Amino acid sequence: MNVIFQSTYYTLYQAANERCYYIDFGQKLVRMSLCQLLSLRHKVNTIAIENHFDSDLNAHGFEVLMLCNKEHLFILNTLEVLDLKNLVDHGFVAIGLSAKTEVLSQ
Amino acid sequence: MKDIARQSMSIKVESMDLLNGQIKMEAHASATYLAMASWCEQNGFFTSAKFFFKQAEEEREHMMKIFNFLVDTGGNPISPEVTNINHDYSSITDVFESTLEHEVKVTKSIHNIVKKAREAGDIATERFLDWFVMEQIEEENTVRDILDMIEVTGTEGVGLQMIDNQVANWIE
Repeated sequence: MNVIFQSTYYTLYQAANERCYYIDFGQKLVRMSLCQLLSLRHKVNTIAIENHFDSDLNAHGFEVLMLCNKEHLFILNTLEVLDLKNLVDHGFVAIGLSAKTEVLSQ
Repeated sequence: MKDIARQSMSIKVESMDLLNGQIKMEAHASATYLAMASWCEQNGFFTSAKFFFKQAEEEREHMMKIFNFLVDTGGNPISPEVTNINHDYSSITDVFESTLEHEVKVTKSIHNIVKKAREAGDIATERFLDWFVMEQIEEENTVRDILDMIEVTGTEGVGLQMIDNQVANWIE
């Protein structure tokens, strides 16, 4: 397995021989297809992080994240959500599916 | 290292996000035209109602075209949530003016995706949207012609009835 990107709490790996990805969540290693990784990206990107700073909208500052067709459930705090957003952002640049760096370098 | 990501997906995620936004916009347009059809039916503009039923179907077809493109390119199409549909219009002119505003908004959004796809070197998305760029010219032109016809006909006396009858010319 090759490390694609490592953030503060998480690591994204590519397992080319299995044609899949792994994310090490610390307490759990989760195997994902690209579709599941895209689904994680969508879920993470739709988290309204600003609600974490408003006690009326998110009283406890936690997010419940269900991954891989409800196979895994995570409860993340604000810092973990921000770190996961960071992992997803950089991870997709590293695997070549995000145009962010290409656009910036032009 | 084997590029399994590129083997599974042939467009950039930024294009995918923008196309998912466009899916939502087309779904919203479809629902809006359905609301307009409802208004027209309730206010006696039966030919205009037919026109908007047809438009609602067309917008859904546009949505599905984009949805299927995302499927074909290995992306993650998101079924859209549609909310805030306006059902209140002050007149038939208001209905068609709102339609034109909506179409212009859709055109701008498509042009923006083309521009971003070009910046990202995403040729597949850029070429896919060629059809939409041309389609929007036609859509805008249809509504503009109807608004011109409304202006020429006028809304006094039997004008409203004539307007509704003439909308039939734009139902394919």
